[in-house]
Amino acid sequence: MTIRIVRAGPLTTIQDAGRPGQLRHGISASGPMDRTSFRRAGGWLGAASSAGIEFTQAGLSFLVEDEGVSCAFDGGDFTLKVDGVSQLWPTRVVLGPGSVVDILPGGAGNYGYIRFDREIDVPVVMGSRATSSIAGLGGFDGRALGKGDVLRFGAALAPGRAPHPHAAEVAAGPIRVTWGIHADGFDPAIRQRFVEESFVISNQIDRMGVRLTDRANVFAGAGILSLVSDAVVPGDVQILGDGTPIVLMRDHQPTGGYPRIATVVTADLDRLAQLRPGSEVRFEPITVAHAQELMR
Amino acid sequence: MTPVILPIGDQGLLVRFGETLTDEANLAAVALASRVERAGIGGVVEVVPNLISVLLRYDPRAIGFERLAGEVRLLMAPAGEQVEDGVERSIEVVFDGEDLDELAEVTGLTRDAFIAAHNARPLRVLATGFAPGFIYCGMHPDALAVPRRQVVRRQVPAGTVLFAAGQTAVTSTPIPTGWHIIGRTGFRNFDPGANTPTTVVAGDRIQFEAVAL
Repeated sequence: MTIRIVRAGPLTTIQDAGRPGQLRHGISASGPMDRTSFRRAGGWLGAASSAGIEFTQAGLSFLVEDEGVSCAFDGGDFTLKVDGVSQLWPTRVVLGPGSVVDILPGGAGNYGYIRFDREIDVPVVMGSRATSSIAGLGGFDGRALGKGDVLRFGAALAPGRAPHPHAAEVAAGPIRVTWGIHADGFDPAIRQRFVEESFVISNQIDRMGVRLTDRANVFAGAGILSLVSDAVVPGDVQILGDGTPIVLMRDHQPTGGYPRIATVVTADLDRLAQLRPGSEVRFEPITVAHAQELMR
Repeated sequence: MTPVILPIGDQGLLVRFGETLTDEANLAAVALASRVERAGIGGVVEVVPNLISVLLRYDPRAIGFERLAGEVRLLMAPAGEQVEDGVERSIEVVFDGEDLDELAEVTGLTRDAFIAAHNARPLRVLATGFAPGFIYCGMHPDALAVPRRQVVRRQVPAGTVLFAAGQTAVTSTPIPTGWHIIGRTGFRNFDPGANTPTTVVAGDRIQFEAVAL
C-alpha cells in the first residue's frame, strides 16, 4: 500500500512515541506535539501502527495509490473531505484505492494526526520512526513531508475493537506550570507578574518551541544573563536575552543556557501546543505532586 | 560547593553543583551521574550528566520526587573523591581555523605556539549533548581562556574544532556557534545507525594532535 502526498502544509512530519533517553547523545525525544490527540486517533482504530502523520494548520492532501487502508483522524478541529465528501472530525474511514483525502484548515488547533492500520515503511532510527526537525533525522529522510513524496506501508494489522470516534472536551483555564530551575534567579516582582499577566502565542511556533509575546513587558529589562547550560525538558519556559519567553517543545534543544522560570506540566503541554497564534495564555504555578496527579 | 537538588518539570530532577563552570563542579557532576547509573534506582529512566549538573528523568508512577532526592543524597560522593578516568583517545586536527590568528594575537602567542599550547596535555571531556555528538573538552589554563565571539556564525560544518571560555569543542553535525574556529577533524562522534550513536562520554580524556592538510 502506498500514498502520494498531493499537498502538505509546513512541518508535516511522521511521528511515533518518540526516542526518549538520548539526551546525552544530543537528541531530544521528538514525538507528537499533541500526544493526547495522537493517542486518541490510534484509539479510534483499535489496532493502530506505531507511527502516524502529524500535519499542521494548513492541512494535507494525499492520494491512496493502491489497495485500501483504514485510518483515523483526530487533533484540533479540521475540515476533512474524502473524494470530495465532507466527513466528521474526529473520524475513522476506510479508504479504497484511488481515494483522495483533503484535510483543510478548520476551527481550532495547530496539529492534527492520521493513524493507520499498518506501519509506515520508513527506517527506525535510534529506536523510533519520529522525525526530529532539530537533528534532521528519523521519519522521511529526516525531513518534513512535501508534495510528491510517496509513503509505503507494511502489512495490515489484525483489526481491533474500537469505540466510535467522538470529539474531546477542550479544557480551558490557565496553563499550569511548576517553577523552573532558575525561578529563584528572577526578582520576586517578576515572578509575581509572570503568573498575573497574560502572554500571547506569537507567529513563531514550531516543533522546537513556542515563542510568546510579552505584551505586559514582564521580562523587559529583567537583566537576563546566560548561564552554564543545563539539560532541557519539554515545557521549559526559557527567557532569552532580549526578554522573549519561549516554551520549549518536543524537538527542543537538548541543553540550554538561558534562564528557565517555569516548566509547563505534562498534562497541559498538549493543550499549549494546540493554541493558535494570537491566543492569550496565562500561567498558574502548581506543585510537582499536583502535576503528577494530573498525569494519571 | 553544596549541591542543590531541584525539580525540573514533573518528571525530572536536577542536581546542580554551583553556578559556574569549574573542574571541581564538573568532576562532581560526572561522578554523580556514574554513581546514579550504577545504582540502578527503580523508576529512573535517563541519567544525563551536563557541565555542572546532572538530570535524572524518572517515571512518577514508579518513584516520587522526594524519595528520589533522598536516594540521590545517599549517592553523593565524599568531597575530593578520586573519579576513575575515562577512556583515552586521540583526535587528529588540521589546525587551519579562520580565527587562529586572532586567538594567537589575543593570547600573545605565535600561531604555532598557540597550537602547541592547545595540544600540550590531554583534555577531559566535560560534557556531551549540546547537539548530536557534540563534545566539550577542558579546561585549558587561564592563559588560554578567551571569551566567545560577539557574532554568532549561522552554521559551521560537522567536524569543526571550536575554542572559547577555556574549552575546546568538536561538532559532529552542522550547528550555529559563537565559538572561535581553530580547525577541523575527520572524527565524528555521531552515527544514528549505530547501537550507541555516540562513543565519547563525559570523563573520557582526549589528546588533540596536529596533522598536516
